[in-house]
Amino acid sequence: MAVAKIAKAEFYIHKSDVDGVLSALQNTGSYEVVPFSSDDESEGPVITHPDFSRVDFLLGETRFLLRFLEPHFVDPISGMARSMGEKEVFSLHQTRDLDSRTDIPALAEDIRKLERRLMEIRSESSQIDSTEILLLSLKNFPYPLELLSTGTEHVRGILGTIPAEQVEPWRRGAESLLGTMGEVYVAPGAEKEKERTVALFFDEAVSQKASELNARHSFNRIEIPPGLQSGVSDELALLGKRRIALAAEEKEILGKSAEAAALWVPTVRALSDYYSVLRDRYSALGSGNATDQVVMLRGWIPESALPEVQKALSVHDSSIELVLSEPGPDDNVPSFIVNPPWCLPFENLTRLYGAPKYGEIDPTPLLAPFFFIFFGMCLGDAGYGLIMIGFFVWFLRKFKRMPTSFRGFFNLFVLSGVSTVVVGALTGSWFGDLVDAFGIFSFLRPLKNSLIILNPMEDPMTFLGLSLALGVVQLLFGLGIAFYDALRKKNYMGAFADTGGWIVFLVGLLLWGGCAGGFLSTGTEPLAKTLTIAGAVILLATQGREKTGFLSKAVSGLLSLYGVTSYLGDVLSYSRLLALGLATSAVGVIINMLAGLAGDIPFIGWILALLLIIGGHIFSIAVNVLGAFVHSLRLQYVEFFSKFYTGGGRVFAPLTYKTSYVSIKKEPVE
Amino acid sequence: MDLLGIALAILGAAMAAGWAGAGSAIGVGIAGESGAGVMTEDPGKFGLVLLLQALPGTQGIYGLLIAFFAILKVGLLGGGAEISVNVWQGLAIFFACLPIAVGGYFSAIAQGKTSAACIQMIAKRPEETGKAVILPAMVETYAVLSLLMSIILLNGIKL
Repeated sequence: MAVAKIAKAEFYIHKSDVDGVLSALQNTGSYEVVPFSSDDESEGPVITHPDFSRVDFLLGETRFLLRFLEPHFVDPISGMARSMGEKEVFSLHQTRDLDSRTDIPALAEDIRKLERRLMEIRSESSQIDSTEILLLSLKNFPYPLELLSTGTEHVRGILGTIPAEQVEPWRRGAESLLGTMGEVYVAPGAEKEKERTVALFFDEAVSQKASELNARHSFNRIEIPPGLQSGVSDELALLGKRRIALAAEEKEILGKSAEAAALWVPTVRALSDYYSVLRDRYSALGSGNATDQVVMLRGWIPESALPEVQKALSVHDSSIELVLSEPGPDDNVPSFIVNPPWCLPFENLTRLYGAPKYGEIDPTPLLAPFFFIFFGMCLGDAGYGLIMIGFFVWFLRKFKRMPTSFRGFFNLFVLSGVSTVVVGALTGSWFGDLVDAFGIFSFLRPLKNSLIILNPMEDPMTFLGLSLALGVVQLLFGLGIAFYDALRKKNYMGAFADTGGWIVFLVGLLLWGGCAGGFLSTGTEPLAKTLTIAGAVILLATQGREKTGFLSKAVSGLLSLYGVTSYLGDVLSYSRLLALGLATSAVGVIINMLAGLAGDIPFIGWILALLLIIGGHIFSIAVNVLGAFVHSLRLQYVEFFSKFYTGGGRVFAPLTYKTSYVSIKKEPVE
Repeated sequence: MDLLGIALAILGAAMAAGWAGAGSAIGVGIAGESGAGVMTEDPGKFGLVLLLQALPGTQGIYGLLIAFFAILKVGLLGGGAEISVNVWQGLAIFFACLPIAVGGYFSAIAQGKTSAACIQMIAKRPEETGKAVILPAMVETYAVLSLLMSIILLNGIKL
């Protein structure tokens, strides 16, 4: 139906013209290249484009540049607008020009220097921080730090911490060991501290003994950076100066980065996209196969795009040979989905479930009317519908160049809003019962009331009946599609026995139920009974056909009739249309009621009422739109699709201009 | 006016709002824990995670809805005329509130677990959000059915 026909296309291209052909193909965006399978006997050498490594390298460089520069870049276009398609447009000529004018490696080298220096500064700053903490703990240390860091010709000093209770034994040990040959320093500390900072000075000759002494008293050595030479307070002052200098340098570098970002980010973005476009093109070549003179590419072209592709390639006619063929049964053919504009917004719903396989039915136009009605019934409030329409139309107008999938969703919500307004008007729900709840809207009441045909709050059973009836319609429609599909594939047994049997059986049961309930005249009863029995007989006779032996055939046939419960469950599932519709109106009514109660509060009541109405209805819209969307979708996926649709296809992914920062426009084919 | 009748109706309303709300709180909580885990890796998924976390929240709203219906029915809201409710009518209202109280409580927790699992799913495959939203919605079906039954029952009680 709407899965377009695709042709298998093999190109044989003379090597001299490969570049031109590939860029023309990429420009049409209608050719998907598939790699030659590895077990193919015509396996040739892997072809790598001579320019591939340069482009790959430059792509890496641009990514580095953007990673570093983008945080410093003040983008004139907001991130939101960017994702909505507000991007600069380039042609390939412009980007090629940029490529030849810009020395990306040199720029990357400069920026790398900045980055490296920045990292050095940051690591030095953190070093300064830790040294400062160390020095502050030694505030009263009376000697130059040189003794601890490097030592003099004979004297060594070591600094460390030991447990507070070890301080006295350690001091005594040191005095007896070193005598006049050394000295002990204990930093002043509070009584409660568990660890004390101490230092030991000694002649180099007894260093061995000193270490043994320290080890006995759990001495934990602290390294002093060798740069520290003079007194503690002098060193602290020096550190302070160094920190100021570093901060100044960091600021300068950040300034340079911001300058570079402002100057280069737009260019680098364009180039990054340009290189990734080239890289895609060269990778496509890499999936091809080659002989000495000829490159072979294998892939898919939608038949509708063939004339365009052939036209685009006409200038290369002398160097290519295009062989078209029908896809074979073993081919993994991609699906190219084409739909008329009216159901384009619903295509996203099909995609969410999974694209149809090639040659299968595209369910988009089939589900569109049902989703449209169901959403309206689930939300069912004209006021909410109007707000949805307003909001999404405003968005669509603000961002005119939105990517297709976004546009589809937004259009979908506008359509859903329209359906919601219709259902809401017919059931008399405008922001719940806002019109009836507040006297100031009384002039609208006649208008509102004139549109009502059914109020589900007062008559829920009729609305429930309507919901279930819609369910029956959709289920039978789904079975009908399955019937048609089986006929199309010449699977007559599947058509007449499986789906046909069920259709006859279910229609019979429905008519019978209608007669029994008194909705239909008794004249239809014989017809109803005949249909039911005929359907049951068909199912009994055919549903066990894969089994062997009469008995197991009969039992399987009988058991299959039990499947009627699943149809019953499916139909009952549509009762959610009533429940969600009621929930929306009821939430609206509750909000209005609360606002009305708040309005009775003297002086500030009207402010509270207004806040409650605005905030409450916004909340209600958000919650109920989510619910309406999810549940109408579920009815399509679970109840409807299970009758005829499996999905699981692969979406057609042509070689085209895939970009992340700018958009590259197609060049018209003359 | 029979006070016990009113009291029973209020008990029903309280159970509907309380239990369904408690279930939603647990469900949304379970989904939120999972979501916070995913966002430590990728804070950019906030939108999707929030969407999935919100799904088990509807039971609380359904419960509130039934509670409002119930107390509206016995005239406790809006300062309308006093309605006399006898014990049997009060008991009927209490029973009518039970489907959403019980169904809402348990389905919200189950839905929370499914949402949590689906949040893990979109952490790896963000392109499959559509499917991730549908799985919790399967659970919600039974909350919707409970809601429906409560509405129909309340609607059927003659005062």
